[in-house]
Amino acid sequence: MRKLLALLLAAALTLSLGAALAQENWEIVVVPKDASNPWFVRMKVGVDEYAKETGLNLYQKGTPEIDATLQAQLVQDLIAQGVDAICVVPVNPESLEPVLKQAMDAGIVVIAHEGASLTNVNYDIEAFSNSGYGAFIMDNLAEAMGGEGLYTTMVAHVTNASHNEWADGGVARQKEAYPNMTLLEAEPRVESEDNGDVAYNKAKELFKKYPDLKGIMGTSSYDAPGIARAIEELGLQGKVFTSGTGMPAANKAILDSGIVKSLTLWDPALAGKAMAALAVKVLKGEEITAPVDLGVEGYTALTFKAGSDKVLEGQGWVVITKDNVDSFGF
Amino acid sequence: MRQWLRRLTRRNEPYIFLVLLALCLLIEVRSGQFFTANNLVDIASAMVVPGLFALGIYMVIVSGGIDVSFPALASLTSYATTKYLLDAGYTGGIWLPMAMSLVMGAALGAVNGVFIGFFGLPAMIVTLGTSSVFKGLMQGALNSVQLAVIPEGMRQFGTDALFVATNPVSGLSSRMPVSFLIFAAVVLLVFFLMRYTYFGRGIYAMGGNEVSAHRAGFHTRRTKFFLYVIVGMIASAAGLIRTCMMQQNHPTNMLGMEMNIIAGVVLGGTAITGGAGSVTGCMLGTLLIVIVENSMILIGIPTVWKSVFVGALIVIGTGVSAMQVVRANRLAANRNLTQEAAKA
Repeated sequence: MRKLLALLLAAALTLSLGAALAQENWEIVVVPKDASNPWFVRMKVGVDEYAKETGLNLYQKGTPEIDATLQAQLVQDLIAQGVDAICVVPVNPESLEPVLKQAMDAGIVVIAHEGASLTNVNYDIEAFSNSGYGAFIMDNLAEAMGGEGLYTTMVAHVTNASHNEWADGGVARQKEAYPNMTLLEAEPRVESEDNGDVAYNKAKELFKKYPDLKGIMGTSSYDAPGIARAIEELGLQGKVFTSGTGMPAANKAILDSGIVKSLTLWDPALAGKAMAALAVKVLKGEEITAPVDLGVEGYTALTFKAGSDKVLEGQGWVVITKDNVDSFGF
Repeated sequence: MRQWLRRLTRRNEPYIFLVLLALCLLIEVRSGQFFTANNLVDIASAMVVPGLFALGIYMVIVSGGIDVSFPALASLTSYATTKYLLDAGYTGGIWLPMAMSLVMGAALGAVNGVFIGFFGLPAMIVTLGTSSVFKGLMQGALNSVQLAVIPEGMRQFGTDALFVATNPVSGLSSRMPVSFLIFAAVVLLVFFLMRYTYFGRGIYAMGGNEVSAHRAGFHTRRTKFFLYVIVGMIASAAGLIRTCMMQQNHPTNMLGMEMNIIAGVVLGGTAITGGAGSVTGCMLGTLLIVIVENSMILIGIPTVWKSVFVGALIVIGTGVSAMQVVRANRLAANRNLTQEAAKA
C-alpha cells in the first residue's frame, strides 16, 4: 500500500512538474537511430543550430549504438521524464510502436522521420516523395548530359520498392521535360545488387554493348560511385555521365576529379530542424493542413502522402558538387 | 592417340571447356563484343578475386571438407588491415598490408584448422560458426563502416596496370591489373602443391577415404590443419586485392559470394564428396561463372531473368560433372568385375 502511495505521489509530482514547465519552454528531444553514425552527428548539428536560433529547450539524445531495444528504453526514459515532444528516427518501426503509444497516451507529441509505416505518431516527415526525388536525380543527370542522349537506370534490385519508385519518377521526369533524351528500351533497368563492384562491372558491360549510351541514373548509394569507376577506367570521362544518391565524404575523389558532376542526397541536419519545427507547431495547437510551411529549407511546402493523414512529404533533397562536398561533415 | 582421346573424354574438363566455348560464341554472336581485347581483359580482371577464392575452396573440397567462412574471413582481414593502416597514416607500398593480411588470414584459418583438424568437428558446422564470429568481430569489435579512402600504396597497387587494352573500334580501354600476376602465381603454386607434394597427395587421399589415408601413413590431422591455414591466407590475399581494386572497402560486400564460388568449383569437376578434382577444372568452372555473371547484358538476358539463367547453368553444369563421376565409377566397377572374372 505504501509502495502504491509512493508511486502515485511520484507520478503526481512528475505530472505537475511537467505541467509547470509545459507553457512556453517546451522540452523537445530528438532521438536518432544512434549517436555516433556520421549521418546522425550531422542531424545533431541541425538540431543544435535550431535550438540556438529559436531558444527552444531542444536537444538530441541518442543511444551509443544502433539497437532497437536500447532506443525503446531511451524513449521510455523520456516519457518518464515528462518531456513535451519526442522526435524519433526509428531503428525498427514495428518494435517501437507500443512505446510510442505509451508516449501518445501520456500526452507527448510524437513526430517521426523515415517511419512512414508508424501509426502511433502525430506526424511522420519524409524528406521527399519517391517520385519527386527520382525527378530530381533526373534533373541532375540531364544537366550533365546536356539534355540529350540515350540513358538507362540502375537500381539495387528490381524488387526494391523505393529505388524503383525513384527510377520510375526519373523516367517520368525525362518524358515530360527532356524530349531529346531516350530511355534504352533493351535494358531499361539494371541491378547493382547494392554492391559497388557489381555496379562497376554492369556499367562496363552496358558501355560495351551500347556504344551510344550516354548516361546512367543511379539510385542506391553504391551505383554512381561504381559507374564512375567504370567511366574512369574505360576512358569515357566527359563522354558519358552518371548521377544518383551518394554520400559526400565517400565520393569526394570522384567529384573533385570531375568524373561525376553532381550527386543527390537529403540533408539530415535539415530533417532534424524540420521535425523540431513541426513539433512546435503541434504543441502550439496549430492546425496542420497541407501545404505545411516549417520555415526550413526544402520543408516549406509539405504535402500529405496520398492516402495518409500522418505522413508529410517535403522537397528536402540537396545536390552535392565538388564545391559543397566538404560542408556536410559526413 | 586414340587412347589419349579416350582418356580425355572420360575426364570432365573437356566438357566444361566445350560449354565455355559455346557460351563465349553465344555472347560473341549476340553482342559482337566478346572477343575484343578490352572485353577479354575485363574478364581476366573480374576473375582475379573469385579465382583466388576458388583455388582455396577447391583444396578444401578435395580434402572432403567444405569452407563457407572464407568471404567473412577475407572481409575481416582486409577491413582490419585497411583500417589499421589508415589510422596509422601509412604511406608505403603494398608489401606491409599484404603481409599483415596474410598473417591474420593464417591465424583465422588456423582457428578453422584446429577445430576441424585436431578436434575432428564437421567442417560445415565449424565454418558456419566461424563465419558468423568473423562477421561479428568486424561489426562489433572493429565497428565496421564503409571506408571510402584507402592508403595510397594500396590504391596504387589496385589501379596499376600491367598493360592497357584498347578497343580500336569503340575506343574503350581496360586495365589488366597487376594483381593478376599474384593470381597466376597462386594458380601455379596450388597446382604444384596438389600434384607434386606429399602434402597435396595427402589431401587427395584424405578426401578419398580418411581412415585409409591415415593408415597409409598420412598425417591427416596435421594436413587438415595446414590446409585451412593456407586457405585462410589465400582468402585474405583475395580480400585485400579486392579492396585495392575497388579503391574502397565495403565491409559487407564480399559476404554471400561463397555459393557461386563453390558452385563454380563443383562445376569444374571437383567431387563435392572429396578425393577428386583438378586445378584446371576448378579454374574452368570459375571462369564459366565469372563470364556468365559479367555477360548477362552482353547476351541480352533481361535483368529479371538473370538469376534463372545463372541457376540453370549451374544445375546443367554440375549435372554434367556428376554424370561423368557416375560413368567413371561404373567403368571402374566394370573393370574390377572383369578382373575378378578373369581371376576366377
